[in-house]
Amino acid sequence: MKRGSRTFLIWVSLVAVFVGLYSLQASEKESAPTPVSFSTFKAEFEADRFSRIWIAGRQITAEYSGSEKARITTTGIIDDDLYTEIEDKEIPVDWNNPEDGSKEVLSRVMGWAIPILLGLGAVLFFLRKASARSAGSWMSMRRSNAREASKTDYVTFADVGGCNEAKVLFADVIDFLKHSDRWTSVGARLPRGILLEGNPGCGKTLLARAVAGETKAKFYITSGSDFVEMFVGVGAARIRDTFETAAKNAPAVIFIDELDALGRRRGSGMGSAHAEHEQTLNQLLVCLDGFEKRDRVVVIAATNRPDILDAALLRPGRFDRRIRIADLSDSEQLEVLSIHTKNKPLSPDLSLASLHPLLCGMSGSDIEALSNEAILRAIRRVRSGQDKKVAITLADFKEAAQFLREHSRHISSLDALLVGSASQFLRPSRKVIVEITLQNGHKCEGEVLWADPKFLKIKGLDASSEILVPKAQISSLIALSDEKNVSEAEIQVRSLSDIQQDLA
Amino acid sequence: MELSDYLDRLLPFIPFLLSLSVHEWAHAWMATKLGDDTPRHLGRLTLNPFAHMDMVGTLVLPLMGVPFGWAKPVEFNPIRFTRKVRLSFGIMLTALAGPVSNLILAGLSLTALLCINRIELAHTYLQSYPDLHLWGLVNDALRMLIYVNITLALFNLLPIPPLDGSHIAEAFMPKSFRPYWDRLCSIGPILLLALFIIPMITDINILAWPRSLAERLIDIAVP
Repeated sequence: MKRGSRTFLIWVSLVAVFVGLYSLQASEKESAPTPVSFSTFKAEFEADRFSRIWIAGRQITAEYSGSEKARITTTGIIDDDLYTEIEDKEIPVDWNNPEDGSKEVLSRVMGWAIPILLGLGAVLFFLRKASARSAGSWMSMRRSNAREASKTDYVTFADVGGCNEAKVLFADVIDFLKHSDRWTSVGARLPRGILLEGNPGCGKTLLARAVAGETKAKFYITSGSDFVEMFVGVGAARIRDTFETAAKNAPAVIFIDELDALGRRRGSGMGSAHAEHEQTLNQLLVCLDGFEKRDRVVVIAATNRPDILDAALLRPGRFDRRIRIADLSDSEQLEVLSIHTKNKPLSPDLSLASLHPLLCGMSGSDIEALSNEAILRAIRRVRSGQDKKVAITLADFKEAAQFLREHSRHISSLDALLVGSASQFLRPSRKVIVEITLQNGHKCEGEVLWADPKFLKIKGLDASSEILVPKAQISSLIALSDEKNVSEAEIQVRSLSDIQQDLA
Repeated sequence: MELSDYLDRLLPFIPFLLSLSVHEWAHAWMATKLGDDTPRHLGRLTLNPFAHMDMVGTLVLPLMGVPFGWAKPVEFNPIRFTRKVRLSFGIMLTALAGPVSNLILAGLSLTALLCINRIELAHTYLQSYPDLHLWGLVNDALRMLIYVNITLALFNLLPIPPLDGSHIAEAFMPKSFRPYWDRLCSIGPILLLALFIIPMITDINILAWPRSLAERLIDIAVP
């Protein structure tokens, strides 16, 4: 029933109750004895009008003889003379009030029934309110707590440096969301789910925000841990609710940050915690499948650990497009640096290209931190009176880089490559030349093309041969200088046993 | 306690309930008009009395014979008001909407009472249904409405927190008054309690003033 008509019905029934009660009251009052003064009573009594008298203390009720049986009531004292007269007239006398009898059974019942009913009603109401309140918090917990992106969250692709492969794909997504008819008319299906992988700080969330800014679609930001709650089933309910809300407000983009909090491999443990976890993950899988082709909803997820994700999440039809946001190349690093220094005053003799050696191995967020540190130093100099205007110099950047390196556990590029490749497929972000001695005594030298858990691919220095080296057969690995400044690059020499110790 | 005594107390309860619903609805409506739809989401933008009922203030107090009561306060978020009104002004408007709605209702009832008492046609029409006690019903219903609404309006205009009048006063409060006002806020509910208890102890029946005002108005209407 619609809310408005229900309210109307309630009002009508309340008015009906009022009318009914009023009628009841009116008939009560009509049949009630009319109050008169004692002298009137006396007069009527003398005139022999009464057929019956009730006396209860000072309350006297008298009934007229005649067909109407009307009654009057008064207060007064019947003294002995008056009583003798009553006896003489042979009028029956009752020593109570007329209502105390069989007539008003209803009245008597209501007398004690109404307080009890009121009390019961109050208690029931309280109980229902109490349970409803806890049900209220329960119900509200099952609502999705996805945050809808606000204007301040939006950036554009211009604000994202690097990630060109991702930008191309997202241009497709934006086009699909804006002009879906163009896509569905030729039968094209957009990847339903897009998984962004990459190291921390490489710009996955920033990319998602840029997608939000570029498209007019509604953007819902959630995190994998948003779906984890103490109570069983809440996670699944929240996922359902999030997807339903997105579908209702299509075109929409759902962004799930830190997907690995939610999408771990199923069945890897026992216990209710795992069961709840699996339930939530299953719900996510079902929801991802549940969209129609025409629905303009895209799910973007970001994770640092794609290796622990459940395989069912990654099959075609769910998160079937995986984009690895690689570490930044040299030119991309400069691009990011220019983005971050766009609104900062630089000293005129500073050329960003000269900062290139400082940026080795840095990810996007590192470069942002670097430029921030640099501007802080510039401000400090102005504050201490050294300079008049705030302008970042080369020295600022160098000090900032030093400071950050000391305070971060940033490992050098070769280490990053070798340690990271223990679980994933990696490419070096810059040219790294190594000399490898195998256990059978062979040596080979070359630039590392890629590394994965078991192998290294080396490109020979004469650029013609590509050698696949099994890591198990390496006895030592030495980094040779690469073309950029070695002193700034901090490439260390590590043997395989050192590396194996790190991994253990 | 006889049935008619119970009925005497029960009968004005229904106009009271309905007037209270209108009062709370007015608060919700004003807040929504100003840009905050929190009341709508909380389900208060409705005339349904059950949405506004408060255990003590709506059921217990009136049914015990106290000619006053309250409903669940309508929660609203002044931050969401449109920028066209100043925040304190917006709060004042929202608070004012309640008593004003009651005054409007009282005015309408008074007009209706005037009509049926002075216009011969209405008079005879209503009296032609003695079985339904229509004449007495409409008359008494309108009188109850007038009384209840005037009571609600006047009471809520008192500048005692948590009544609506306190919000209205806050909008006009000069800064120098603030500390005294805050102290008043903390003892506010106790003041209200005193308002109920004093008539029981002394002869000063403050609660009767709205009634006498209502009666005076009715006397103007009904010759």
